[in-house]
Amino acid sequence: MQPKIAIEIVNSLKEAGIDFVATLTEANLHNLVMALEKDPAIHHVPVTREEEGVGICAGAYLGGKRPAIVMMNAGFLLSSNALATVCIQPGIPILMLIGHSGGMGEENPSHATIGMLTEPVLQALQIMYERVGHVEEIRPAIQEAQTLARSSRRPTALLLVKEALR
Amino acid sequence: MKRFDCLKAIAPHFQDELVVTNLGGVRHEWYAARPHPGNYHLQNLGLTSSVGLGLALALPHRNVVVFDGDGSLLLNLGSLATIANQHPRNFIYIVFDNSCYESSRGAPTATAGLTDLAAIARGAGFANAISTQNVEEFEAGFLQALKNSDLHFILAKVEPGAGKVPPAPLDSVENKYSFVRYIEKTEKIEILVSPPSRASEIQEK
Repeated sequence: MQPKIAIEIVNSLKEAGIDFVATLTEANLHNLVMALEKDPAIHHVPVTREEEGVGICAGAYLGGKRPAIVMMNAGFLLSSNALATVCIQPGIPILMLIGHSGGMGEENPSHATIGMLTEPVLQALQIMYERVGHVEEIRPAIQEAQTLARSSRRPTALLLVKEALR
Repeated sequence: MKRFDCLKAIAPHFQDELVVTNLGGVRHEWYAARPHPGNYHLQNLGLTSSVGLGLALALPHRNVVVFDGDGSLLLNLGSLATIANQHPRNFIYIVFDNSCYESSRGAPTATAGLTDLAAIARGAGFANAISTQNVEEFEAGFLQALKNSDLHFILAKVEPGAGKVPPAPLDSVENKYSFVRYIEKTEKIEILVSPPSRASEIQEK
């Protein structure tokens, strides 16, 4: 991810009221994770496994924070049970920024499989999402995804596709 | 010792502490021992420690006490590393270790073998991690943790078996709303947003 995209995401999160972010890093998310760590307006919690981040964000919401989680799509697939039982069932919103590996041009076979499964699993969980790639799309997408998360009291997701991650 | 006896011993010491319980029998016992709007009964195994951490970080001036089990913590051992590194001083993490999957008909967990969860907590970075064998030790450990105002891990080695209590009546959606409303009221913050009425737009025309 280019530094200017990382900065745009951090600023957009803050503008949308996000003040608490759990992350699990990956090469393409590195600049974003480092920018979140540096920002004093955001409580950043690096986690060891993505579903742990879902739990931490849910607890932070119950305590009045406005949480988001940053992870790759492999971590999202790992988090399905956590999202269902901790967020969707009681009605707890989390904004999810999911780096989307896989898709056209993918060379790694396991990433290709994860990529194919990501949107069907989002749909199966009835999580509203949008694909975001270009820098000018980021700010309105984050604002709207956060508005929907809070009004619907459910997780929402933005899939950061390769144009955003490169 | 029995888990319910531990809970009954410490319940009188609670004031406005917030509590997170896991999906197992402990939630019914705790509801019986201390029914309170500051109890959050998580409908999940594994993430009790993580939800407690998020709550403790969000409200650093409120004590957060988590009641978990050995099977649940074993699902999420990495959370010990995250909690230790975040080091919330208002967080007391209690694990009732009965060495079995009690809610799943009792097959042994790893702690029935060689695994020591208090040692794992110390290795993860908890400076205060104790293992207790009887109710007096457990209650003393809890009171010390309250007094210290620091991150604590308390392992309670208990025998399997649930207290004779009625099921906690709270539906999880109801519990979420009542907990959030309680936090809003006691912290004077707004968590649940309501859309503004559009009626005023018509009057202004």
